[in-house]
Parts: sequence; C-alpha cells; structure tokens
Amino acid sequence: MKPDPNTLGDSFRFLQKIVREAGPAASASYTLLAAVLLLGGIGYVLDRHYETAPVLLLIGILLGLVVGFYELAKTIFRKP
Amino acid sequence: MITPEHEQAAEGFNAGEVIIGHVSNTAHDQAIIHLPTLFGIDFSITKHVLMIWLMAAFVFITVTWAVRKRLKNDTLVPTGFGNALEAVVQYIRDAIVLPNVGPKYLQVWTPLILTFFFFIVSCNAMGLIPLFDILGVLDRFLFHTEHHSMLNHIIHGGTTATGNYNVTAGLAVVTFFAIIIAGSRAHGFLGHWKNLVPHGLAWWVYIILIPIEIVAMFVKPFALTMRLAANMTGGHVAILVILSFVFIFTGLFHSALAGIGVGALVSVPLAVGISALEIIVVLVQAYVFTLLSAVFIGMAINVHH
Repeated sequence: MKPDPNTLGDSFRFLQKIVREAGPAASASYTLLAAVLLLGGIGYVLDRHYETAPVLLLIGILLGLVVGFYELAKTIFRKP
Repeated sequence: MITPEHEQAAEGFNAGEVIIGHVSNTAHDQAIIHLPTLFGIDFSITKHVLMIWLMAAFVFITVTWAVRKRLKNDTLVPTGFGNALEAVVQYIRDAIVLPNVGPKYLQVWTPLILTFFFFIVSCNAMGLIPLFDILGVLDRFLFHTEHHSMLNHIIHGGTTATGNYNVTAGLAVVTFFAIIIAGSRAHGFLGHWKNLVPHGLAWWVYIILIPIEIVAMFVKPFALTMRLAANMTGGHVAILVILSFVFIFTGLFHSALAGIGVGALVSVPLAVGISALEIIVVLVQAYVFTLLSAVFIGMAINVHH
C-alpha cells in the first residue's frame, strides 16, 4: 500500500512542531545536568588542591542543583 | 593462517590502551607537524587539528561549489546536490532559527547556525568513514613506511574531531559570545546584562539571583561542550569495545577459533547495529547543538520573565 502523501506531510509537520517545542525543554534538561557536572567538577578539583574532600565537592553539587533547578523553573514558568 | 605468534599477540592485547589510541587525539610527541610552544600553548598540528582543517575546507569547497553552480544556472529550481543543500538550509532556517530567534534577527543568526550545523555534521560523519583505516591497511601491506614517518602519524589517532572536548569547547565559546552579541544588539550592551535577571524584585533576591545567572551563563556552553564530545566519543568506544571481544576471547581461551566465533556471532553483528545507530547520532547531535545554540541566542533576544 502506498502511503497517503497528505498523511506523510502532516506527520512531518507534526514532528517539526514537536521538535520545535522541545527546544527549551532540551536546553533546560541539559543545563540541569551540566550545572551539576561543572560545579561538582570544580568542587572536586578544589578539594584535591586544598585536601578538603569531600566538602567542596558536596557544596559544588548543591550549587549545581540550585543553578540547574533555577534554570528549569525559568523554562517552566516562561510566559509563552 | 593463524600461527602461535598470532595467539601470543592476542594475549598481550590491552583493550583499554587500543581503544583510547583509536578515539583520542595523537600524543603531542607524535604530532604530525611539530611547532614551537608559545605562551604555554603547544601549537603542534595533531590529528584532530588536521581533521578540523580538512572538514572546514571540505564544507567551504562543497557549499561554495553548489551555490555557485546554482547561481550560474538561471533556473529557479536547483538540481542534485544543490537541491539537497537547499532543503537542509531551508529546514534549519524555518524550523530551528525562526521559532527561536524570531523574524527580526532571522537573517543575522541563520548563517552562524548553518555554519555550526554543516561543520559539526561533516566532522561527526568523518568519524564513521574509514578513510584513514584504509590508508593504514595500504601502509601495512603496500607502502611499508617506517614507524616515525609522517604517514604513520597521520594514520594514528581518532578521526572524529568533534569527539575532542577542546574542539567542542571552541564551538561553544563561539555560542557563548554569540549569546552576548545577540543580547547586546537587541537590547543594548547594558540592557543585555540587565535582562539576565527579572526586574522589580526585592533587593535581597538579587543577591541570590545574580551569582546564579552568572554561573548559568557559563553552564550553557559547558552543556554544549560535554554533550557533543561525549556522544561522539561514546559511540566509537562502544563499537571498539565490542570489536575487541574478538582479541580478548582469543587470549582468554588460547584459541583463535574462539575469537573468530565470538567475532562472527556477536561482535560484528553488534558493531554493525551500533554503526547504524551512529549514523542517526551523527545527525541528531549536530541538530541538537544547532538547536540549543539557536535557543540560547533566542533567549537573549526575546526576554520574558
């Protein structure tokens, strides 16, 4: 059976719409992950340097969570 | 023919070392062209630097060729490669840049996003084309160059430049400055920095918010850097791990037959499957980098709080 060209076009447009709307969500999720990784990593490096393990690592991860969730909240509560 | 020497070689197989050698940049003492160190930075040309240049030249030449060919013909409809190129360009403009950046700055930021997309997609795709491996096979059986020849140095090291954190960090730095420039163009230089935090809040909220926003400013390009490089390296590592089962099993059972059996039944079919997945990953990762860059630039231009 040959697919209906209209259905195919519609599906493609729908996919495009979903992908377009997913942009901010993708950015928020990656920011959450990267914030924890970046600040946790900085904490880990400073811990090794000052031999204060694991205080700075934990502070870094917590700060990363705060920044990440703040960005997530900003995306969620953004006015359309 | 499998000789006892082959089995002995398999026993000394170090999977970790081989895999790292295949995905990472060439070591600095094995650089293709040695250049002096300036300001603490080694300017030697390594494999990934060579790959960046090759892919940049490739993108520049093919796109320029297609566009010039299109301009020379008077027909409105492009044909062949030009047609495919136009479809991609139009898709990126209408589906990525327009909804995020908005119609006012569409023509300003589309070229940057397009450049990102084509450069990343060709760098990613190069990692799947075994051009240098074929060169390696030719060298081994035909050319027989010595160990420290330039050809030998070109063969070794990973071919996916976007699998190197330094390359993706360089791309993300461009995005970082693009965000600042986009915000400054739309709202003025001071306006952009004021837009980072919402207006009209109690003063003590700003004490918390301003540091958070400054960190978030650096986190966004960092997310781009890690995601692209990790995804490109991850797929290659998975393929190499699965293929090294052949040598690990040969060493484990002291029999080349075990290795060949595992290779034929498990490793090669799995590696083929993951390679097919990698083709999708190549496109998706280039797409996500460009999409996120467009989202970030759009956020600096269309500020809502």
